[in-house]
Amino acid sequence: MADRTEGQAPERSLEQRLSDHVAIDRLADDLLPALAAKLSASGLGELEVREGSWKVRLRRPAGEAGASGPGGHPMRRASDRVGRPQPGHAEHGHPPGAIERTARLGGPAPDPATGASHGATTRPDGDEGPVARTVPGDTHRLIAASPAVGVYRPRPDLRPGTQVRAGDRLGVVDVLGVQQEVLSPADGLVGARLAEADQPVEYGQELLIVELLDADGTTAAQRAAAAAGGAPAAGGATPGEAAPAGAAPVETDTLGAPREDAPPAPAAPRDEAPPAPPAPRDEAPPPPAEGAV
Amino acid sequence: MFNRVLIANRGEIALRILRACRMLGLEAVVAYSEADRDSLPVQLADEAICIGPADARRSYLSAPAIISAAVITGCDAIHPGYGFLSEDAGFAEAVAAHGITFIGPSASILERFASKEGTRRLLGAHGLPTIPGSNGMLRDDLHALNEAERIGYPVLIKPSAGGGGKGMRMVRTPRELETALKICRSEAKAAFGDDSLYLERWLEENRHVEVQVAVDRFGNGIHLFERDCSVQRRHQKILEETPTPALTPERRLELAEKAVTAIVAAGYQNIGTLEFLVDGAGSYYFIELNARIQVEHPITEQVTGIDLVALQLRIASGEPLGVSQADIRRRGHSIELRINAEDPEHDFRPSAGQIERYLPPGGPCVRMDSHMYAGYEVPHHYDSLLGKLVVWGETREEAISRARVALDELLIEGLPTNVSFHRALLRSEPFLSGSITTNLLDRVGSAAFLAAAARG
Repeated sequence: MADRTEGQAPERSLEQRLSDHVAIDRLADDLLPALAAKLSASGLGELEVREGSWKVRLRRPAGEAGASGPGGHPMRRASDRVGRPQPGHAEHGHPPGAIERTARLGGPAPDPATGASHGATTRPDGDEGPVARTVPGDTHRLIAASPAVGVYRPRPDLRPGTQVRAGDRLGVVDVLGVQQEVLSPADGLVGARLAEADQPVEYGQELLIVELLDADGTTAAQRAAAAAGGAPAAGGATPGEAAPAGAAPVETDTLGAPREDAPPAPAAPRDEAPPAPPAPRDEAPPPPAEGAV
Repeated sequence: MFNRVLIANRGEIALRILRACRMLGLEAVVAYSEADRDSLPVQLADEAICIGPADARRSYLSAPAIISAAVITGCDAIHPGYGFLSEDAGFAEAVAAHGITFIGPSASILERFASKEGTRRLLGAHGLPTIPGSNGMLRDDLHALNEAERIGYPVLIKPSAGGGGKGMRMVRTPRELETALKICRSEAKAAFGDDSLYLERWLEENRHVEVQVAVDRFGNGIHLFERDCSVQRRHQKILEETPTPALTPERRLELAEKAVTAIVAAGYQNIGTLEFLVDGAGSYYFIELNARIQVEHPITEQVTGIDLVALQLRIASGEPLGVSQADIRRRGHSIELRINAEDPEHDFRPSAGQIERYLPPGGPCVRMDSHMYAGYEVPHHYDSLLGKLVVWGETREEAISRARVALDELLIEGLPTNVSFHRALLRSEPFLSGSITTNLLDRVGSAAFLAAAARG
């Protein structure tokens, strides 16, 4: 049901193409039935799901759109001005496997009774959301950004130091009852929270830092912490390497360093990587309601 | 009245709506795309919220993004501005389903007036003249010839399934009609898969005259006179004025009264504009309804003293009009010049880039509605409207003089604009004599028009 047009995604590696097939299978088996249910429950006329370079769109017949609004969801007042990402964070990554959903009101559409796949189309679409932001001058971490305007619900089991893979779900943003996934922009360890659970967030708002894993399986923050604490530099990191990370604008936080209440960082992929030493500073994280600093 | 209004638009109209909200004591939240992060309405708003990327389909055209933004910022009304989702019945319905007021006609009213053809039939039935045409689709050549004879040559052959001028052909004689029918049929078949055709009288030299109306929820309707939008380039309005020089004062009033009577009878609500073509003989024909605030609304405000956006908000909140037709007086003449980021030297190619310097004009009866400021980066993603220079004068001549003075004061540096074109226009004979028709600039060619104006 999904045919990829040549040219839109040139020079895709074998790995990428395999991940496409996985994505298609998942679309067909898991997402479509769930989406069909969501569409009929929501007041929306059209739902669209993007996964990487794929897009699936479901529509309900004209005239039905908006017939039943999701009346149950609470009216939230943004008690604070919704945080606006700072200029300079506008650079967007386009990681593979990034999932992003949009929902839209639609015109005429096929019969939903015959199943969602009847009304579903898939096509490649290179257009992706602000899934990741970089920290200027810092190559050691990425920031997962909100794919939509709505209410942020982070995955409750994530703690600073939890290991994640690129494309792992970090949470969702609830857009009028439709969940849009927040995905990890890279392999790494969960770092500081930049937005709180149930906080209203805008499109592109910075939600969570992901500390990138280097070849030795450690993060720059771990090495910086190790260096600052006088412990032997982990994985051969030199003080010279650690310094820039220490100077990065987001280093005011306990980046990636396990907090006392957090479980220890899971084993790094490589055996030789020592566990991260405790953070030298005992600071609490900054109030996350400030959102994107 | 509402407490908090989400403004789901950008540029000068977002700013205009923000000002109306402030006048009514309402808080305003501006929803913006990433490309408009540094825009003036975003800076001046009580709160601003990013709803998506530069691509309008995922920001200003995304109903879920806009409604979600309204919900999380605690807004109880959404103003759609013009363009984007402003006349989208599905959007209006979804907004209402979330317990939020759509500032405009309700979804069911937007639905009723969604089709141009249906609206023409509906308002035709309520007494508005429409362009004479064939009775239904053409059955065969003989039927076509008879119908053309009845309508009167020249006639326009139009495909039933068409749009955007495709497959249309104007013919002046029966012989031309017979030849053209064959071509049009095959073109329509190829383009739309449907070769049914109909005829409409060809209006050679016409003017675009529109009537501003306002109708409250209790069925009280008023008109706020007409506007002339005949100065167009490729169907884009460039300059608007009121009153229209195309009609006598009696005919203007007759047109406006017929328009408001028909629109009230047809069940319309909130503010709206009825567009008419006026031919050389002064006959007018209804062509379409705009169910929203329009770009050129300020000239009506200048001559009536009525804040149309505030009126729109009040009607949407359920308030009665509060004024009767007898209260509405028109005084003087007003002209609006659309200042666009486009290069008249290069076929009006749209331009983008940074506004390096900006000095708006001033003085009595001069109004500049613009979101520009020095340092503002004009994004390339949206339309090229930078602002609207609006002037008022006791007479048309005074308004033109004032427009010239204001235009000479206006300074925009950093990117090409159409200011030079307006200078030429305000000195050109066809404009000064009030005789510009909608196709003049395209027929003469904008470059030739500029050159002739420079010589004159």
